[in-house]
Order: sequence, then structure tokens, then C-alpha cells
Amino acid sequence: MNDSSSAKVIEWLKSAGGITVTCTILVAIAVSFHKGPYVLVNTLVTGGMWALMAIGVSLLFGVMNISNFAHGEYFMIGSLTAYYIMNPLKQYLLETPNDFLSFITPILGIAGAAIVGAIAGIVTDKTIFAQLRKRNREGWLLNCFLITIGIQIILINVHMLVFGNTFKGVVNYWDVPSVAFGDVYVSVDRVVVFGIAMAAIVLFWYLMMYTSLGKKIRAVAQDENGARMVGIQVNGVYSTTFALACGFAALAGGSLLFMFPSYPTVGVAPLYNSWFIIILVGFGNVAGAVPGGFMIALFQVVTRTYMGEGWENVIPMFLIAMILIFKPYGIFATKVRSVWEQ
Amino acid sequence: MKNLNAGYGFLKVLWDVSIQIDRGEFVALVGPNGAGKSTTLKTISGLLPPQSGKITFDGQVINNQDCALNCRNGLSYISEELNLFTGMTVLENLEMGAQLLDDKNKMEENLQFVFELFPRLEERVGQYAGTLSGGERKMLAIARGLMSNPILVLVDEPSLGLAPQVTEEVFNALKVLNKKGVTILLVEQNVTKTLKFSSRAYILEKGEVVLEGPSSELITNDHVKQIYLGT
Repeated sequence: MNDSSSAKVIEWLKSAGGITVTCTILVAIAVSFHKGPYVLVNTLVTGGMWALMAIGVSLLFGVMNISNFAHGEYFMIGSLTAYYIMNPLKQYLLETPNDFLSFITPILGIAGAAIVGAIAGIVTDKTIFAQLRKRNREGWLLNCFLITIGIQIILINVHMLVFGNTFKGVVNYWDVPSVAFGDVYVSVDRVVVFGIAMAAIVLFWYLMMYTSLGKKIRAVAQDENGARMVGIQVNGVYSTTFALACGFAALAGGSLLFMFPSYPTVGVAPLYNSWFIIILVGFGNVAGAVPGGFMIALFQVVTRTYMGEGWENVIPMFLIAMILIFKPYGIFATKVRSVWEQ
Repeated sequence: MKNLNAGYGFLKVLWDVSIQIDRGEFVALVGPNGAGKSTTLKTISGLLPPQSGKITFDGQVINNQDCALNCRNGLSYISEELNLFTGMTVLENLEMGAQLLDDKNKMEENLQFVFELFPRLEERVGQYAGTLSGGERKMLAIARGLMSNPILVLVDEPSLGLAPQVTEEVFNALKVLNKKGVTILLVEQNVTKTLKFSSRAYILEKGEVVLEGPSSELITNDHVKQIYLGT
């Protein structure tokens, strides 16, 4: 590392983002020594998925100026899809054991969840937001806020009406012994879920930075009219963005089915979490959503461990209020913040 | 373009404006503030749907056609606000301008061409568009508009807020471009300079065409002299 880059690192460490990230890592290490490494495992598993949720919300806000309060419902759609794919297959496997099928069942469930979520996203865009875009853009933010709240209420009630008010969960994905990291045993499900989150984040980053689709999405986010002027079909880009964002939420829902069984309001907590993250890292900051996801997960796991169930939203909320007082644009605020403010 | 009426909502800006541009021409559209020059360009480009009238391009009626589709057909619009992708580098902006081209070699060729036109951009390829100076931004916007091999380029107020020698540079670039066979419709407030560079001009006042003719004739016209040239 040469001098200028080390100076940059030191400068970053002194910034709000650097201080928060460093503190988070220190807290994570301290807690895992005090209460055992399981705290860390839980943080990583849920943090990755909250990051995926927050990426989706952030993307919709950054690209389309939609504050999506129905994002948790795509998580719910994902968990429901995964349940209805996995459960019948698992029933069938009880009668006729089949090694390959039992290996592939959770993969089918999670992949199906992501696909159904993406399709649901496209349908939402085409039926609701594309229609709204055709009219004038006056009061766009408020209209979107109200519409997404409406979508949330409708989807929750449709779930209740059609699938009932029960918990629909799968206890574990694979019936295999836990993996050992030193003397810590972690269930395979958790390892795989963490892997899925990381893979999705890396793929997403690659997509946004290096593919022409990603460049188009960024172009539309930065200047919609500019994008139209160079010949980008903005409506297609909007639908793709919706598909990506909702697909990620559903992927999270499907992956976390063993921790969060599907029921009508299962998406509410993930929705709050992703909004915590977005407020923490700054609106429209897609890259910041990843460390933000792990931070919020750590806050919650730590408060749950030390203060008991039920406090996990209170302490992060308080911390976020503090951060907002001193850093109102979020901890990773940069000069190029979001479309909204340019 | 025939009998075009356009405006924003209840506000009508253009009143039966008719403009005809032939292939390879360098036409200027001049007039005072609020005459509707920018609105005309915005309407032709497809960003603003016309209220009535007919816009034909290459024999096709392009009313109500999306800007993206017009761009595909060879119409390039360089707006007053520039609409650059400020969070992307100069090179990425230019690549986005060429994203309709299938041929990768053609893109390289165009890139060489715009760098020849504006050598300043080549020095700044890796820089974010948001960090460029006003003149460089304008150059980048024009360069991006040229990346798609347009037949017709609509340029809105390239001299706005620029230093005189930079304006000269931009105008010269447009001239070079016109010599290469690209049709140009230029909107400007800087009447003297525009009439010197263009071959034909329309004068727009309060949303109506009041005068039209070859630029060399207009520059000696009494009305133009009185109002715009101050002599």
C-alpha cells in the first residue's frame, strides 16, 4: 500500500462512516467473545438478507423516486412461494426418499421465490406505476407513498384470505449435520443462506458496474431525460429495476423461511429493518446498504441478547435517531448522494 | 414541421409554428427570451408531446413518439440543461450516447471523432461528469449527442454561460460537423454569432415565426438590426 492510499484509508476511518463501521466491528468482536460466536453467526445470516432488502428499497428510491412501503410484502411473497414449493416436496420425500430431490428441494424453493418475486415486481410496475407515470408527475412522492401503503394492505389481506392466518414454515432445509468452524457448530442452512446473500450482492454489484443493463439503470437514475435522449427505453429499465428489487426481497424471504415462517404480516419487520438501514446509510445509497444491513442486524442481535426479546427495534431506533441528529444525510453521505438531491 | 402548437399544460407556448429543414442544412432558430425556442426543440425531440400540428422527420410523422425512439431514428437532442449522467465518467457518458450502436468498431470511430472535435474531453475521460467545468460539460453533452451517428442534431443554447473563446470552439465544432453532412438545428440567443455561422435562420417571437430567410440576408434586415443587433 503506498502513501496516498493509506492516507485515504486513514481519512475514511475518521469520517462518520469509518467510525461507525469500526465501532460495529469492535462491538461484534467483543460480543462474540462475551456471549459466544453464535451472536456473530446470527448477525451474518440475517444481516446479509437485510442488506438485500435494503438494496431493493434503495434502488427503487434512487432510480424511480418511489418510497416503497410494500417492500416487506415481496419478502412475504417470497417466503410463501418457498413454502408452497418446499412443503409438498418434503411431504413427498417422507414417503419416497430420494437423495437428489432432497438436496435440490430448498434450491428450487429459493430460486422459485426469487423468480415469483421478480414477476410480482414487474406486474406491480406495469399495472400501477407505469400507469401513474403516464399521467403527470405532480405529487409523485406522496402518491407513491400512498400507493405502496395500499399495496401493502391489499397483499397482507389477500394472504390472510387465501392462505389463512397460520404460520407456514419449514423447520430446516437440509437434514445434514452442522458444519464445524473450530468448536462452533453452525447449521448448513445458515451457511448456505449467508452464501446466497453474498453471491447475490456480488452479482448485483457486477451487474450495476459492468453490464450495459446496469449502466442503463444508473443512467436513468442520474438523469431520466438524459437517458431518453440517448435512446434508452426508460419504461423497460423501470420494470427491470422493479424486478430486481422485488426479486431480491423475495429471495430474502425464501432464504429465511426456516427463521421466519410465512404468515400475513411476516414482511413488516424486514420492511422496518430495510428502512432503518436506508435512513442510517443515506437515501438512495445502494452500496451503503450492504454494511448498513450488517450493522442493523448486529444492533438487533446484541440488544436481543442483552436486553431480551422485544427490545430489538427500540435500541436501533434510538441509535438511528442519534445518528440522524448529527448526520442527517446518513453516515455514508457523499457529494453525489442521490438523484433526488441533484 | 407544420403548424405546430405546443405548451405546458394550460400554458400554450407555440402558435402555429412551421419550420422546414432540408438535409445537410445548418439552420438557426433565434429570438428573445421566452419566445418558445427551447419548447420547439423539446417538442421536436419528443420530450414534450405537441398539443396539435404535425412533426415529420424523414417522411415519417413523429408526433407523440418517445424521445428514445426518435434517437434510434437518428434524431439527437442536446438540451439546455445538458442532462448529463453526473455520477458517471466522461467515457461512460459517451458510451451511453453510443449504446444504440451495435457495432463496437463504429463506437471507437465516433469516440475518435468527438475527441478530435473536443480534445479537452480526451484529457478528462476518467473524470466524473459532475466534476467538469461548465464549458467541458457542454462539450460532453454535444459529444454524447453525436455518438449515436445522428442525421439531425438539435442543439439548445450552446453558448449559454460560456466564455467567448469556448463558445467559439463549440460553434466551430458544429460547423465541422455540418461540413460532414450532419443537419443541424441550432437555437441561440447570441444572434450575431449564430447568423454568421448558420446558412438559414428563423426568427421566433412570442411563439410565432416572424421572419425567415438565409442568414446573410437576415443579418442586414432592418427588424433584426433594430432589435437584436442594436445598430
